[in-house]
Formats: sequence, C-alpha cells, structure tokens
Amino acid sequence: MDPLVLGALVAIITVLVLFSGVPVAVGLLIVAAGFVAVFDGFGALELLPEIFFGKLNNFALLSIPMFIIMGAAIASTRAGADLYEALERWLTRVPGGLVISNLGACALFAAMSGSSPATCAAIGKMGIPEMRRRGYPDGVAAGSIAAGGTLGILIPPSVTMIVYGIATETSIGRLFLAGVIPGLLLVGLFMIWSVYATWASGQGDAALRRTRYSWREKIEVLPRVLPFLFIIVGVLYALYGGVATPSETAAVGALLCVLFAVVLYRLYSLTALWGVLRDSTRESVMILFIIGAAGVFSYMLSSLFVTQAIAEWIAELDVGKWWLMGAINVFLLVAGFFLPPVAVILMAAPILLPIVTTAGFDPYWFAVVLTINMEIGLISPPVGLNLYVINGIAPDIKLKTILVGSLPYVACMVVAIVILCVFPGLATWLPDALMGPAR
Amino acid sequence: MATMSQPRSSREETRLQRIVGAVSTVSGVISAGLIFVSVLITCQMIWVRFVMNDSTIWQTEAVIYMMIAATLLGLPYVQRLRGHVNVDLIPGLLPPKARRVLAFSTLGLGIAVIGIMLWHSFELWHLAFERGWRSDTVWGVKLWIPYLAMPVGFGLYILQMLADLLAEISPAAED
Repeated sequence: MDPLVLGALVAIITVLVLFSGVPVAVGLLIVAAGFVAVFDGFGALELLPEIFFGKLNNFALLSIPMFIIMGAAIASTRAGADLYEALERWLTRVPGGLVISNLGACALFAAMSGSSPATCAAIGKMGIPEMRRRGYPDGVAAGSIAAGGTLGILIPPSVTMIVYGIATETSIGRLFLAGVIPGLLLVGLFMIWSVYATWASGQGDAALRRTRYSWREKIEVLPRVLPFLFIIVGVLYALYGGVATPSETAAVGALLCVLFAVVLYRLYSLTALWGVLRDSTRESVMILFIIGAAGVFSYMLSSLFVTQAIAEWIAELDVGKWWLMGAINVFLLVAGFFLPPVAVILMAAPILLPIVTTAGFDPYWFAVVLTINMEIGLISPPVGLNLYVINGIAPDIKLKTILVGSLPYVACMVVAIVILCVFPGLATWLPDALMGPAR
Repeated sequence: MATMSQPRSSREETRLQRIVGAVSTVSGVISAGLIFVSVLITCQMIWVRFVMNDSTIWQTEAVIYMMIAATLLGLPYVQRLRGHVNVDLIPGLLPPKARRVLAFSTLGLGIAVIGIMLWHSFELWHLAFERGWRSDTVWGVKLWIPYLAMPVGFGLYILQMLADLLAEISPAAED
C-alpha cells in the first residue's frame, strides 16, 4: 500500500479510536500494535515493550514529575490566594484595577505551577467572586481567568515545552526562554481586552475604580509570596547559569516547594502531603504513559514509512511557506480542540518539525506558535478543560456565559499568533540574547 | 435465570473489585514513593557533584529506572482513579445501550493490547535475566531489574481493567 494512503488510514483510525473514550495512551498503543501486526507481522510486536522502555529511558523526562510536584505543592497551599492579594495591593495604581491584577496573578501562578487547570482554580477561586462583586461582567470575570490559566503551558517552566523539547530534541532551556515574551504579549492582550470589555459593558466606572491600600497592607503580604517567587527565579537561574540540567533544577525546586509548603503554610499533616504526592503521581504517570505509548506510535509510523511519505508529499506540494504555516496552524487548532496538548505535541511535533524547519521557520518560534494553539484548545469546546474548571469553581455562572466570555480571549491568542508571524523575534530574541544564537 | 444469580454474582464481583482496587492502590503508593525518592536522589546527586565536587556513578541511571518503574506501577492506580486522560466524544453521541457496548469493546481492546505488552515484556525480562544482560554504563546494572517493572506494571494494569470490565458487564452497572 502507498505510504500516503496508509497514513490517511492511520489518521482516520487513530481519530476514531481516540474519540471512543479509551485512554489516549492505550488508544495509541492499540493503533500502533494493530498496524504493526497487520503490515509487519505478529512477530514484530515483540519489539514494542523495548521501544516503550527506550522512549522513557531519558533523564530529561524526570523533569516532568519534578515540575508537577513543584506545582502541586504550591497549588495545595493558599499561595494562589496570597499572590492574588499581593498583586491586587501592589498593582492598585495601575489603571484597569482588579482584572489587571487577576491576570498578573494568573501569569505568575502559571509560572510557578506550570499547570493550566491549577492556575484557573487557584486564582479563580478568589478572583472571580471578587470581580463580580465589584461589578465586572460575568463574561469578563470568567473569561479572563480561563484565558489567564492557559498561560501555564507557555510561561516557563512548562511541562508542555519540556515534552516538545523531548519529542523534537530541542533545548528545553531555550524553549523556556522563547515562551517568556510571547507569554507577556498574551497577558498584555488579555488585559487590554478585559479593560475594554468592562468599559464597554457600561459598568466600567464602578468596576475599574481603584481601591487604596496603605504601605503596611502592601508589605504584610510579601513574606508569604516572595519565597515561592525566589524558588522560581532560583530554578530559572540555575537552569540558565549552566549550573544544572532541567531535571536537576526541577528536583531541587520540587523539594524546596514541598519544604516551603510545610514550613510557611503549615502543610504538616500526612494526609495533605500524600494529597500532593498522589496528585503529582497521577498526573506524571498519565503524561509519561502517553510519552511511552506515543513513542511506540511514532515507531509504527516510521516503520511503515508514513512519516517520511508525509514530509515528501508536503515538500512536493510546493506551496508558499506561509500557506503551509497557515495549514499547520489550522491542523493544530483542530487537534487541540479534542486532544490534550501533550498528546498533540507527541504525535504531531516529530512529523511537523522537519517540514517546518525545511520551510525556513525557527523550531523555537514554532514551539511557541504550537503552544498558543494548544492554549486555544484549553478554552474551546468540546474539551476546553479550563472552561469546566471555571464552571466548577463558579457554578452559578452559566457554561454558555463562560464560553462566550472566553471567545474574545481566543481572538487575542489568534492575534498573538499573527503578531508572532510578523515579528518572529518576539520568540527568538530572548533565547538568542541569553544563550547565544541557536546552532 | 440470569436474574436469579444476579445478587450473588454482583456481591462476588464487588469483593473481587475491592481486592484488585487495594492491590492497585498499594502499587500506586509504591509508584508515588519511587517518584519522591527520585527527587531526593537527584538532590543528593547535585550535592555530591556541585558541593562535594565529586563524581556520581549510579544516580542518573537509578532515577531514570525509578521513574520508569513509577510510571508502570502507577498505571493500575491511575486507572482506578480514572486519571488516564481520554476523549469521550463518540460515547457522548450514542444512546445508553450502544455506549455500554462501546465501553465494553474499548476496554476489551485495551486489555488485549496491554496483554501483548505484558507478554512481550515478560519475554524481554526473561531474556535479560537468563543471559545476564547489563546496561553499558559504569554502574552496569543488571537489566532484568528495571525490565521487571514492565511485566509487573502491565500485569497489574490488566487486573484493574478486568475488574472494571466486570463492573461494566455486571447487571448493577445497567442501573
């Protein structure tokens, strides 16, 4: 069978299997084993466990459970609420008021926890009721937090970026840096829209009014938030100062975050500590299982020459590079609507990266564009994880209001992608400046 | 006749499910423990390398194998917690009866494919054990030790999926 036709068959069957409700990792194994058995014979199946093991046999992967523990330790404390309070008190002079500090808190918490749903839950629990109390429209209150939460996968340290780095063999440190300025760009766009929407709703005067805080009130919140910020800065410093690898710094960060949670937030009880460890284990196992299974899946694709055939086919199409990038974006967007970011990256990035780099795009820039596409998936139906998290913490806001409120933020993300296409330096300048030009 | 045997069979199933669930939980606790210990070992490794200025021999390899073992031993526990991410787009579109048939078939397919992984990983483990394979590093660990995580993890995962399958076909699930 022609590898391209085979590729189409694999794609259709993968979609059907993955949409059937089977766990993503198991679905990938089912499709991979099925095609290997049919086209390479049952004997070839004996290779699968070795490939699975080999895919996980990678020191860089250790950073995933470590960063997850770091995030879970922070998320299990009141750190989200404290951070929220601190920013509200310190940013009170910035025009735009509460929604600005909410988005700032989302960005900072995203940097600390690396998880989108955790950011939504931690900041939203405080932020949404407070914004509504002060007269912000429900759509802005819910939408800004849903969108702000998605920053978790873009602003470093980000598990999604680690997975991209491993799947494409690119530098994780460089990827982290590439996400910083686009992350800030997104925060800026979200802020502009939030203030505009509040003002346009006619409730601007009340909602955007500034509250005054004394210096004492401003300073008393600092001791509770600074330690975590120091850890993040310390982790990033160790990473970029060349002191240690991502996995090593993440391990130290994880240990420090757990210790700080115990000391500062009195998280002594074994039940609470087990909760942190259990949640981290659940998420890590889920992601690492998908990574192993995706390794088996991509082995199947290349052993049937599908990967190579797709790359050749696209090269022969000879379309303009921006048409190609547009098509890739649409593909990623649609995939992100349905599948978790990790799965999309593991399946698509190894196939797309050679095509993208051959067309003259920067792999780090592409990582950022890909991640923003995945962020859109987090606040779009049918999966839209963040929408459901918001629905869970603010059950009296209708899901429809949350959804409609989030749509303008999706538009902000599309605008960010366009800006990044026009000014790719926004993603590539910081890593180049700090780590020297990519090879 | 089916209705006659219903109470007994469902009682037995719940006991079986409870036992399998307990085994999965123990496996999950071991998995969490492995992850936590690998945090400590990695920190110790940094201490040895950067503070004591010494070289490390076994740590990097050990934590990788521990992470792999944690992943595999965590599978049944995460299955029990329904923590394996999935996309239930098609089931949502189906009427209840068809949804059950689909759930039954996907679980069955899942068991089959993990069964394949179990069998071949057992063979791999056995080969590594028989021939005394070692990793080609300074530490040179016997490879059957890290490989063991695969048959054990996949085996326990199948057990948990079988328990879920039984729950799916038990008449109680229809309510």
